[in-house]
Amino acid sequence: MKKFRFKGGIESRKNRWGWVFIFPSLVFFSFFSFYPILNALYTSLFKKKLLSLKPPVFIELDNYIYLLRSPDFWNSIRATMVFTLGTFIPMVIFSLIFAQFIVSRKRFRKFFQMAYYSPAVLSSVVVAAIWLLIFDPRGLSNQLVNFIMNTPGVDHKWLANASMVQISTMLVYFWKYVGYFTIIFIVGLTSIPKSIYEAARIDGVNAWTGFWYITLPLLKPTTILVSIMAMLQCLKTFSTQYLFTQGGAPIEPINVVTLNLYNTAIRDHRIGLASAMSIILFCIMLFFTWLQFKTARSDETSY
Amino acid sequence: MPRYLKRVHKRTVRSVAVNTFVWVFLVITAMYILAPLVFMFTASVMPAGDIMKMPYRWIPKGFYWQNYWQGIRGNNGSFIYLRNILNSLIVAATVTVTTVFLSAVTGYGLAKFHFKGRHIAFMMILATMMIPFEVIMIPLYLIITKIGIQNSYAGLIAPFLVTAFGIFLMRQYYITFPDEILDAARIDGASEPEIFRRIILPNSVPALATLAVLTFKGQWDNLLWPLLVAQSEEMKTIPLYIVRFTAEKHTDEGAMMAVAAIASIPILILFFRLSRYFISGAVVFSARKG
Repeated sequence: MKKFRFKGGIESRKNRWGWVFIFPSLVFFSFFSFYPILNALYTSLFKKKLLSLKPPVFIELDNYIYLLRSPDFWNSIRATMVFTLGTFIPMVIFSLIFAQFIVSRKRFRKFFQMAYYSPAVLSSVVVAAIWLLIFDPRGLSNQLVNFIMNTPGVDHKWLANASMVQISTMLVYFWKYVGYFTIIFIVGLTSIPKSIYEAARIDGVNAWTGFWYITLPLLKPTTILVSIMAMLQCLKTFSTQYLFTQGGAPIEPINVVTLNLYNTAIRDHRIGLASAMSIILFCIMLFFTWLQFKTARSDETSY
Repeated sequence: MPRYLKRVHKRTVRSVAVNTFVWVFLVITAMYILAPLVFMFTASVMPAGDIMKMPYRWIPKGFYWQNYWQGIRGNNGSFIYLRNILNSLIVAATVTVTTVFLSAVTGYGLAKFHFKGRHIAFMMILATMMIPFEVIMIPLYLIITKIGIQNSYAGLIAPFLVTAFGIFLMRQYYITFPDEILDAARIDGASEPEIFRRIILPNSVPALATLAVLTFKGQWDNLLWPLLVAQSEEMKTIPLYIVRFTAEKHTDEGAMMAVAAIASIPILILFFRLSRYFISGAVVFSARKG
């Protein structure tokens, strides 16, 4: 009897250690994740200035109404959407193509994996600095395009023209992250059992049909995962646009929500308005994640 | 030629064509990926006049080290870049240590202890993954200024002590760890912290290394947060220096690329030495079950 009680004591004492182990992280998240998000929600209902001694004024939803009526904010939404769609769709498609091509090779697999992945390890600021020079009127991009299209001496205004600067930011982002997603697809592809393809080959299925009717359906979970991750990353883009505008590019076409948020809070000191903006950004991201999970839920894959 | 052989011939011609196309495609896209990197390194050892010349000379004529000197010295001769590099190292190293340690501790606690409320705790931690840093950076900034640690190492480090991603990664790793070994240690009289230190930590080096590499890389790249809290030049990190240096009037292209190259060399060395940890870090999510 005594022994039994003792054993129960060990079990509950052991489980108390579980709390000890997770406690520091829970405290951290309460202060640095949950409190800030609630605080952002709360602050978004106030007219509040950074560094101002005046007490914040409660203005209900005026910040949100102001934003929804502000052409500047709508322009940011537009810029973010254009950037996200223009970047993440090509990124998903091309990383899948790269992965399929690399996996089909017998040699140089490792080399290509490393080569495609290498830009992802550089810092975004370094990346933006390199491309700032490449997009210079005398830079490599003009040289290459003029060489291909045989139009010597034409300046394509990569950083000056409103639509070109949007394409430029997309090109940079695509360049940096396509390898990252290629790696994820490679793992997805190599986890599909070879026997399925062998069986299909015996049945006379060619490579293209095999890819379309076997690989793609089996790869669906990976594809969904990659698209969610790529999309969320694109919605949060900041560094490229920031450095490009610092380098002299026009801000309006690439004034994405995060950039606008930063400027509203730090340059204009309008904390309440910036908080409302961040809550809207949060909702947009939640919505898209939910949407993609919903389309994904339909069926599970098993080999 | 017999008919069946003709068919085989036609098929091989086609597969050779496809094969060639794939190779050409891969090589051209690899050039698109690698060219900017090569450009950074070659331009960093060329005088500015040569960089912007058409056509670009991919093999530099000599080694124009003055770019590196100017990059480190800065346009005003303050050598502040060295301090900024040191700051980046301090911040990235500290964050890496705390993140790896706290993630391991928490992940272990969630994976191996069946206490009440652990599911709720795990869900709460996972939920923070849905909160992007960009959304909470303003309140975080207000907290940090209220505590009075803006413009200090503590302020640069505080919001990144641990990540939900790290905890998730370590929990998945520990959940398959055999309970028998832990129980055997308990019977031998080992205390819980001892078990963690002597059994759990040494047996999870690959996962810890993956997390360490990813965390270090993330901090090395961090721009937004230092932009908010590092106000003085002495407290700035590498990305902030590059932003400022790039925007300065007197900066020439060669020095700009030298500064960028200096910032990239440590992380590239890390990447080539530890590429498998980078790669396993990229696929953490895709390898999960269900």
